[in-house]
Amino acid sequence: MPPRLKILLVEDSRADARLILEVFKEEKIGVDVDVVRDGEEAMDYLHKRGPFANADSPSLILLDLNLPKKDGREVLSEIKENPELKSIPIIILTTSQSDEDVMKSYKLQASCYVTKPIDLAHFVKVIRSLDEFWFSAVRFPPEPRLC
Amino acid sequence: MPAENVRAPEPFLLGEKQLRQIFDAAPSGMIMVNHAGTIVLVNTQIEQLFGYERLELLGKSIEILVPQASRGKHPEYRDSYFADPHTRAMGVGRDLHGLRKDGTEIPVEIGLNPLVTDGNQFVLASVVDITERKRAEERLRITIEAAPSGMIMVDQQGKIVLVNSQVERLFGYSREELLGQMIEMLVPSAARQKHPEHRNEFSADPHALSMGAGRDLYGVRKDGSELPVEIGLNPLMSQGERFVLASIVDITERKKAEVLLQEKILELQRSNEDLQQFAYVCSHDLQEPLRVISNYTQLLANRYMGKMLDEDAHEFIEFTLDATKRMHQLINDLLLYSRVETKGKGFVEVDTNEAVEMALSNLSVAAQESNATINFSGLPLVKGDLSQLVQLFQNLIGNALKFHSELPPVVDITFDRLGDVCTFTVKDNGLGFDMKYADRIFIIFQRLHVRETYPGSGIGLAVCKKIVERHNGRLWAESSPGSGASFKFTLPSAALRRVQ
Repeated sequence: MPPRLKILLVEDSRADARLILEVFKEEKIGVDVDVVRDGEEAMDYLHKRGPFANADSPSLILLDLNLPKKDGREVLSEIKENPELKSIPIIILTTSQSDEDVMKSYKLQASCYVTKPIDLAHFVKVIRSLDEFWFSAVRFPPEPRLC
Repeated sequence: MPAENVRAPEPFLLGEKQLRQIFDAAPSGMIMVNHAGTIVLVNTQIEQLFGYERLELLGKSIEILVPQASRGKHPEYRDSYFADPHTRAMGVGRDLHGLRKDGTEIPVEIGLNPLVTDGNQFVLASVVDITERKRAEERLRITIEAAPSGMIMVDQQGKIVLVNSQVERLFGYSREELLGQMIEMLVPSAARQKHPEHRNEFSADPHALSMGAGRDLYGVRKDGSELPVEIGLNPLMSQGERFVLASIVDITERKKAEVLLQEKILELQRSNEDLQQFAYVCSHDLQEPLRVISNYTQLLANRYMGKMLDEDAHEFIEFTLDATKRMHQLINDLLLYSRVETKGKGFVEVDTNEAVEMALSNLSVAAQESNATINFSGLPLVKGDLSQLVQLFQNLIGNALKFHSELPPVVDITFDRLGDVCTFTVKDNGLGFDMKYADRIFIIFQRLHVRETYPGSGIGLAVCKKIVERHNGRLWAESSPGSGASFKFTLPSAALRRVQ
């Protein structure tokens, strides 16, 4: 059995983070998810700083845009400017429907932009398609990541 | 040319009779006086000017023509002239008057020429009636006095020669304090030194101009305070001398209005930014908790319905989900409403036929389902924001499709043009409404029907109204229950008329 996919979920809302995990559970999606609550924690995690000294590098990041302390846009641009981190695909998962946010995210080289639907059935569909594509079909860059 | 070919003209000798004819033909009055002040010769012009017959004047003292007021001094002036006779103008700087036979006085200008005949000293005075010129000057003075702006006339040296009462009022000086003073006394000290230079530049190339274009000009009052002014300069010739007539407008009020306008613009920009912020809050921050409520309620239903939850719980969950859906719709509508202003595009020429067609294609499902007929043709070109006009027609036609009676809906779109304004009418054969609600239907989130019968948040007509108002138009409705409704709105028509 191949090793389970490591996903970093950056989400400030406990309810949202839990909902994603619940849907993963209901849909029997076999991935390892670590959750951090703000942008600074996300950067600490990726740089293996402080409490995250033993964290694994994630294969994929699910990133919310509106975050406390350091927001998702800053996290995105910092990751993409960092030669060690920039090859990690980032999926923006947010409530923002603004064209500006969509545009900016792609400019900052997000892999894709997904809006959280208000309806649970839709949300489950979105998670399923993420599973089918990103968690199953996609091949990720091999470790160790080289620039 | 050889010198011998140059020949002086023959001397031209005139007889006494011819001389007299020339004397009489002179355009100004001519009068000759001997050293005793006795009139020895007058011409026709003098007769006309003073109203005397020639014979009434000859042999009389010249003082007969001098007004009473200066008559006493006149012999003295005369004597001093004879003591040093030379060609000059009389009474320079004074106003001269002549006394007519009928006792009236006329303003005159007098030139004096000494003349010696047969060893006797005479004076030949030429007298010009300047009544007309004085009148013109008076008219100018009255005009200047009556001007609504301050008027200052300045001579070539920069001395003030004329001011009107507006200038007294503006600068707080009396006329007497200003006349004869340099114009620089009204220029603030910061600009005073350079002013004579500017003046010289102007007199080198005098032409009407508005002073200090693009600069803020100020004048200084007697009390030292400054006032913002606008100054127009006009060169003026009077009696062979150059003057500059400056018209001065106090623009304190305008400046105040400009500042106020600037403040209002900033205020508007701020409130527009607030509105943008509000729109973002709507699209994100308000949706977020709503999504959580909706998702977890659904999760609750999915996971526990039929196991731990009974029928009541099912119904409660339905109500909760329905409410969150509606709230979601309201927020989106509010966002749409706020974006009419903030996300509106510039106005271009729009073919309203095209706008209606686009609206109909967006409404095709509803139109087919209700078996609707929509009539329009040859609609005009207007100035507007195409996507907003599509939205406008879509909401109005959509409304007609929604509130139809048992008959299939028929919608007629027509227009009237009056000058630059097109009035459109969207008329339906639907339910109509009581005119007492005619204003209420345009208020955001106001509805006339319960939600169960006619779904919708009550935003459509409010958005229509806002769109029309953004196009400087007016939207209103005419109806009565059971007889359909007519929605009318005005839009600015485009210059070109559609070729039909």
